Amino acid sequence: MPRRPPRRRLFAAFALLLVAGGAAGAACWWPSRTPQLHRPAGWPAPVYDIQRNPPTAAGFALGRKLFYDPRLSQDGSIACASCHQQFAAFAHFDHRVSHGLHGANGTRNAPGLFNLAWQPDFMWDGAVAHLELQPLAPLTNPVEMGETLPAVLARLRADPDYPRLFARAFGPGGDEGPIDSQRFLRALTQFLVTMISDDSRYDRYRAGRATFSDAETRGLAAFRTHCSACHVEPLFTDYRYRRNGLRGDDAGRAAISGNAADRGRFRVPSLRNVALTAPYMHDGRFDTLEQVLAHYRSGVPDALRDEPLLREATSVGAAEAEDIIAFLQTLTDERFVHDRRFSEAASR
Amino acid sequence: MTAALRRRRVRAVAIAATGAASLLLAACHGGDASGLPLRVEISHRVGTQPLQLGETEYTLDDGDALRIDRLRYYLSNFRLRRHDRSWSAAARSDSDARGYVLVDEAQPASRSFEVAGFAPGEYEGVEFLIGVDAARNSAGAQTGALDPALGMFWTWNSGYIFLKLEGRSPQATTPGQRVSWHVGGSPNARTVYLPLPRPLRLAPDIVSTVHLHADVAAALLAGEPLRVAGHEALMDPAGGAAIADRYATAFRVDHVHHEPRR
Ligand code: HEC
Ligand code: HEC
Repeated sequence: MPRRPPRRRLFAAFALLLVAGGAAGAACWWPSRTPQLHRPAGWPAPVYDIQRNPPTAAGFALGRKLFYDPRLSQDGSIACASCHQQFAAFAHFDHRVSHGLHGANGTRNAPGLFNLAWQPDFMWDGAVAHLELQPLAPLTNPVEMGETLPAVLARLRADPDYPRLFARAFGPGGDEGPIDSQRFLRALTQFLVTMISDDSRYDRYRAGRATFSDAETRGLAAFRTHCSACHVEPLFTDYRYRRNGLRGDDAGRAAISGNAADRGRFRVPSLRNVALTAPYMHDGRFDTLEQVLAHYRSGVPDALRDEPLLREATSVGAAEAEDIIAFLQTLTDERFVHDRRFSEAASR
Repeated sequence: MTAALRRRRVRAVAIAATGAASLLLAACHGGDASGLPLRVEISHRVGTQPLQLGETEYTLDDGDALRIDRLRYYLSNFRLRRHDRSWSAAARSDSDARGYVLVDEAQPASRSFEVAGFAPGEYEGVEFLIGVDAARNSAGAQTGALDPALGMFWTWNSGYIFLKLEGRSPQATTPGQRVSWHVGGSPNARTVYLPLPRPLRLAPDIVSTVHLHADVAAALLAGEPLRVAGHEALMDPAGGAAIADRYATAFRVDHVHHEPRR
């Protein structure tokens, strides 16, 4: 066979390069690519150790399917997504407290889900110490999904699709086959941990890519004076358990720590996407940000002003309160709540 | 690309992959995976009688009576002490649950197990943890003995249940006279050190066994006896502390034996 002329070989190599480069390039910007845990500029390092469970296309898609699948619940009626809705930044829109199986009510308001990789512990009282273990709480709670882990695993094993999807994500597995509890929890975690909300107008303003109105600029300054001692930028929480002057019976952090001094303390929630996550507070008692600001301005009883950091928050003026509310709207991340990769449509 | 070049590339990738894999394995193993195993056998007793689950009613010295329906607990972090007071620790791994044992009275096989990874030599004492150490107690989704599907995991205050002792007692004022003692929470893990009645030898050609006795009555009667009335359900870390202090006293070494390995 005659040797191929060098010219043609060069051309073939060039064409190959183009195709390979194109594929690599597409993988880098194509919006359907698997989200990864990245660290936005100026943010601290995430606490979740992503090395132990690196998200893959198959693992992430499996986690998403599980998140949207009501068959995880005892009577097939409640999915994770029933209480965590994307348009509400994965909070439970318009529900004061969670509303699960047979219409039973829990006692706590479902928080938004994002930036979980930075969170050291979960739930309003920090009951859950690791993101991978978080799904066990709603799954086995009789007023939420009312299931047991072995029953869920048995149902997934009997399903026509799940065994194949687990095998694709994690390999064929051992004696138990491709589905076990660690893989189940890690798949859900691959979905949860990559939900990063870092593209609000506030973020673009800080990066010099957006402008603020006068009210928003004043609001940011007032927020930094009165609120950011606890709602620390850039995550808008210090992840500590604090009292913000609400009266109530919920033991809060004390139920977990066993320390009476923690009574009524709850984790400082992030305020990212706060305009979307109403109602507010651990028991969902406030419907609007106006009510929240009114609480800080005049609702904190003297007896509950023992949290030293709270003093500044109680001295917000009326005009400042309006500016702060204007500023809080800039924390909405439209791209995150419309990101198709996290959507129910993509799960099917 | 020439075939030779391609081959070289493939080889380089293979070498890099093997290197990465072995690095990964090396990083995952604590202790010495190539070491020798120790056999551990456990007999549960109530005072002088062997424990039988179900209908046998045991009367404790403080007058309380108890039927025991379930006894399950974790043991981990085994170490052996040499005469010079240095230690050899069992093998552990971040990627699986080796070295963690779930003992379940209802499953006889679980009362006789091997812990791997000890150095050859002669030892005068054995140490272990009742429960799961703090690092593994909050380390995320795990497998094997630490699989949360085994029912030894609290989902509302995440962490392992170190010990479950469930039964019925005429002194209990609960429906069905049920008694449920679940102990967990990192501060309630207890380290137990037991001197051996005679030296234990580990060598490749022998099977070395430590036989432990665990006495439920001793645990309940230790110090101020734990009365059933008023303590029918201890199910959170704070309530479990009373039991944790006591169960650490339940274990003793009955005997040690050596057999030729066949
Ligand atoms: C019935 C409603 C409901 C369902 C179903 C539900 N959750 Fe939740 N979720 C809640 C509530 C309420 C909280 C806060 C509970 C608390 O703090 O006591 C919460 C908290 C969380 C948190 C912690 C957030 C934080 O900031 O601490 C995560 C993560 C989470 N849920 C994920 C899930 C996953 C995954 C599923 C499906 C396996 C799920 N949820 C199903 C209502 C629900
Ligand atoms: C002392 C610390 C502290 C300060 C200062 C503080 N907060 Fe809070 N904030 C909290 C805590 C703790 C909660 C949750 C309380 C609960 O649910 O019981 C909270 C909850 C909120 C919520 C509800 C969020 C949700 O998702 O439910 C909003 C909104 C809020 N704070 C805004 C503000 C604003 C605006 C300021 C300044 C005027 C401020 N906070 C100052 C600690 C603080």
